[in-house]
This record gives sequence, C-alpha cells and structure tokens, in this order.
Amino acid sequence: MPSARVDTAELPHTATHRARVGPLLTTLGAASVLAFALLTPDEYDQHLVMWVGLNAVLAVSLRFVLLVGETNIATGAFYGIGAYVAALCTVNFGVPFPLALLAGGIVATLVSAAFGLITLRAKGPYFMLISFAFTEVMRLIYTRIDYIGGNSGIMGVFPPQSLDPLMPALTVLLCGGLVLALYLCERSDLGRVFRAIENNDAIVETIGINVMSVKLLCLILASFAVGVAGALHAHIYNVISPGDFSYLVPVFALAYVKIGGDSHVLGAVLGAGLLTLVAQALEGAGALEQILFGGAIVAAMLVLPDGLWGAGKRLLGLLWR
Amino acid sequence: MGLVAQLCLNTLQIGAVYVLFSLGLTLVFGVMKVINFAHGQFFTLAALLIAAAMPAFTVQLALPVWLDYLVSFVLAMIAVSLLAAALYFIGFERYLRDLVGSFILSLGLLLLLEGIYLWLFTGAPRVVAKVLPGQISLAGAAMETQRLVICGLSLAFTMALYQFVQHSRLGKALRAVAEDREAAMLQGIRYRRTSFYGFMIGSGLAALSGGLLAPLTPITPALGSDYLTKAFIIIIIGGLGSIPGAILGGFLIAMIESVAGYYFDLSYATIAMFALVIAFLLVRREGMLGHAQR
Repeated sequence: MPSARVDTAELPHTATHRARVGPLLTTLGAASVLAFALLTPDEYDQHLVMWVGLNAVLAVSLRFVLLVGETNIATGAFYGIGAYVAALCTVNFGVPFPLALLAGGIVATLVSAAFGLITLRAKGPYFMLISFAFTEVMRLIYTRIDYIGGNSGIMGVFPPQSLDPLMPALTVLLCGGLVLALYLCERSDLGRVFRAIENNDAIVETIGINVMSVKLLCLILASFAVGVAGALHAHIYNVISPGDFSYLVPVFALAYVKIGGDSHVLGAVLGAGLLTLVAQALEGAGALEQILFGGAIVAAMLVLPDGLWGAGKRLLGLLWR
Repeated sequence: MGLVAQLCLNTLQIGAVYVLFSLGLTLVFGVMKVINFAHGQFFTLAALLIAAAMPAFTVQLALPVWLDYLVSFVLAMIAVSLLAAALYFIGFERYLRDLVGSFILSLGLLLLLEGIYLWLFTGAPRVVAKVLPGQISLAGAAMETQRLVICGLSLAFTMALYQFVQHSRLGKALRAVAEDREAAMLQGIRYRRTSFYGFMIGSGLAALSGGLLAPLTPITPALGSDYLTKAFIIIIIGGLGSIPGAILGGFLIAMIESVAGYYFDLSYATIAMFALVIAFLLVRREGMLGHAQR
C-alpha cells in the first residue's frame, strides 16, 4: 500500500466534508421515501414501501446485536411475538392502535430479556444456533395454541379506518424512527462499549463493566424495535400466521445486513431495500425465484465481501483522490 | 415389553441417520469454524439422485433392486463429492473461520440449490422401491428388514468414522485443527488442505445419510431442511465440533422424538428438544462433550 501514506494528509478534510454531506443526503433520501409513501396512489407501491421499512428495521436490529459480536437469529421470534401480541390486542381486546404497537414492543422486550438471561451465557456459534432453534420453536408453539388461531393464525387485524390512507407514511416514519434510535445508541458511549465487547470482552470486564448486562441491554433494545415492527407487520398485512415468522425472516435480514454492508447502519437499510425489491420483482417465478435470489446472495458474497456499502466507500475513495 | 422394544428400535433407526447427518455438520464446524446451512442440500441431492436413477436403471439394465440401489448410490456419492469440491473452492475457502460470512454464503447456496432441485426434479415426492422386502420381529417389535439393515449400515459407518478420526493420520490432523488451529499448524499440519478434506468428509457423510434414508421415506427437495434444525440442536447438545457428542446427541434426540412422538405429537417433541437445550445451557454451556467456545 504505497499510496496510503500520501492519503493521510488529505484524510481529515475528506472525513469532515463527507460528515456534512452524509446526513444531508440521508435526510433527503428519507424525506423522498416519505413523500413517495404519502403521495403514491398505487396500493402495490404502498405495500412495497411498508415492506422495505419493516425489513430495514429487522436488518438494523440484527446488526445492532452484531455490534456486541452475536448473531441473533431469535430476531424472527421477537418479530413474531410483537405481531401476535399486537394482533391479539387489536382483535380480541380492542386496544387503541398506538397502545397495541407499544404492547407488541414491550412483550417482545420482556421475552427477549428472559431469553437473553439464559442464552447470552453462551456466545458465538452456540448463541447463533440456539437463537435459530428459538425462532423455529416459537413458530411451532404458535401452531399449537388454539387461542391464537393455531395453524391458520389471526385474521382481521386492521388499523383504525381513519389511519388507513396514512399507513404507508406512518410506517416509514416509525421504521425510520426506530432505525435512527438504534443508530443514536450505536453512536453514543454505549455503542463504544458494544464494540469493545465484540473485540475483547475479557478486557471490558476487567475495566469494571458488567459484560453480561450490557449484552442483555443490547439484545433488549434491538428486540423492542423488532417487536414494534412486528406489531406494524400484523396491522399492515391484516392477517398473520405461524408461517410468516419462520427462521427465514431473520436469516434474510442477515443477508440484507451482509450484502448491504455491515460497517454502517445505512448499509443494512440499503441491503434491505434492494433485496426486498429484487425479491418482489422475482415474486411468482417459482423455482426460478429461489434460484435467482439465492444466486444473488452467493454472487454478492463472492464479489462484494464487505457489502455494497464497503464497495461504494471504496469507489468514492478512488474518486475523491 | 413389546412397546419398549419398539420404541428402542425406532430410536435406533431414526438416530442412526441423525447421527451420520450431524457428524458431518459438526466435523465441518470443528475444522473450518463454519456452520454450513447448505449441509442438508448434499443430503437431499444424494437422495434425489438415487430416487431418479433407480427406476431408469431398472428399466434399462434389468438389474436386481439391491444392485440397482448400490450402483445409483455410488453415482450419487460421486456427484455430491464433485458438487462439494466445487462449492469449497468457489466459495467456502474464502470464508474459513468467518462465522457470519460463511453462514450467509451457505444460506444463498441453500436457496440456490433448493431452487435448482425443484426445477430439475419438481416438488412431487418420489418413492424408492423397497431394496429388501420383508419384515423382521425382534423381542415383540416389528420392523422392515431393509430398515434394520440400513440402520446397521449407518451404525457401521459411524463406528468406522469414529475409528478413522481417532487413529488415522488425517483423523488426528482434523482433531488437532479443530482443537487449536495455530498449534496444529506449528506441528506442520497443513491447515487449508486439512480443512478441505474435512469439508469433503463432512459433505460425504451428509450424502451417505441421504442415500441410506432414500428407501425409507418419500423424497422431496425440501427434505434436507427438515433435518437441519434437528441437527443444529443435536450438535449444540453434544458440543460443537465434538464427534462423540454428536453421536450421543443424535441418539438422545431420536429417543425424545420416538417417545414423545408416540405419546403426543412430533411438534411437541421439537419443543421438548428446545427445552433440553435450555437446560443444558443452564448446567453446561459447552454441551455434553464439547470444549468451552472461545
């Protein structure tokens, strides 16, 4: 790397320059998505925007737990719990819509706290496989409980009628808010502790920080976001069934994170948006859909090892020089 | 007595296939620190190829059924080995010891391969002709002859693998790499070569279990995915990377499945398995026979 030394002088300048441009571009992008969600008359487009929003929250929440170095496939379980709780609140108890969303988030948080207390004792591949199994077992449990509709799930989960035209914009706002909140946590001192734990938890422990509680906090924050997203999911699709919350949900979210680029939160959002659109374009192609989607993931992993975000950054770095 | 014998026999025959399948997964993890999500696809391909090739052979060559099975089994093993080698060199070699990266790569492969199988073989279940007809009864428990033979074969393969890993040079290299890669390399073990062999043996075990299962169950392209969740639970209980652990875990899970499946329902059996995993975590987080994960 002979050129690296020459670049260092320019680096601070480029960094501050980009720091000003970055948030501006992001805000503009978010605003245009919001405007699109508000204005588009097409129901299909509205659903697409909401779908991207939900997937972005899933991806960002998964990435949030990745910050402490754990791959949390249980994201799918907490998403499902949020959805089921909110659906029950709306359909069986007539709870007001905002409270139903909040209830979804809170119950997901509580369950994740119990889950984390036991399972965060394990780490790395063990945690990954256990969280995988948890998502699958929760799916099986939904099918076994008649009160929540067993295999057929819950139908008729509608948001209040007055909110109907606003749902796409509301979803974009809420999902954007959750993503931003998680990002702010990441930027705070707490985020630094997360990174430190990922690098070396033993050292963090010696400084006097309780690694277990920080990891638990991380899991809980991520699960609250996903619980609210699940609650939104139930109200957007109006029908939920156990099959909607299989291990494929978090596993795809992981693919969004990795293909978008896990070095920045916007990478995860980018990956979620792009892959959701690809999946949508391929919808109904049968076996070909799986071949192309799987092929896209494999190709991205082989060609772009640090994701679209990393590739974009490298490209920008080349142009800036 | 008859019931106990029947449940034991069921445990043995379900367990034998689980053990072979999970052994491959745990071996690959031990050597490469990769959790291969697409492991089930090797299993499925072997079963599908046998199911597709056997009727053709019967018509073309008029061989006896068992010989037919043997020939298509060998062909399927060769095909799966070629696929596994290709996947290793194209993809997995770049993601050695990268848990998340290799996981997503193998997820893509899972979808891609399942799509290709669906396209080539269609989703309709295929049934393989009975290799050995007839029934055997043992201590009041009845069982198809071919199930017993296949179960015996799986046990023999498991034992052979265990001996191989314990005593052969390559087996020792595999264990050394799984234990501590740097120390193994300092002893002159070639890491990349060893991990390639480990991957090939692991994938071969998946194909072997798929081929052995082929005459016993209807075969669809989604077959492998059903086995994957259970294999994950088995290798957690046994300890990731531990070969004796996978053997014990496989039979334990098979026992839960045959007993709970007899009295209740298969989905309760899966829920019970998860409860068992949680219990293990509380008591011994590195699994029955594993080492603590660093």
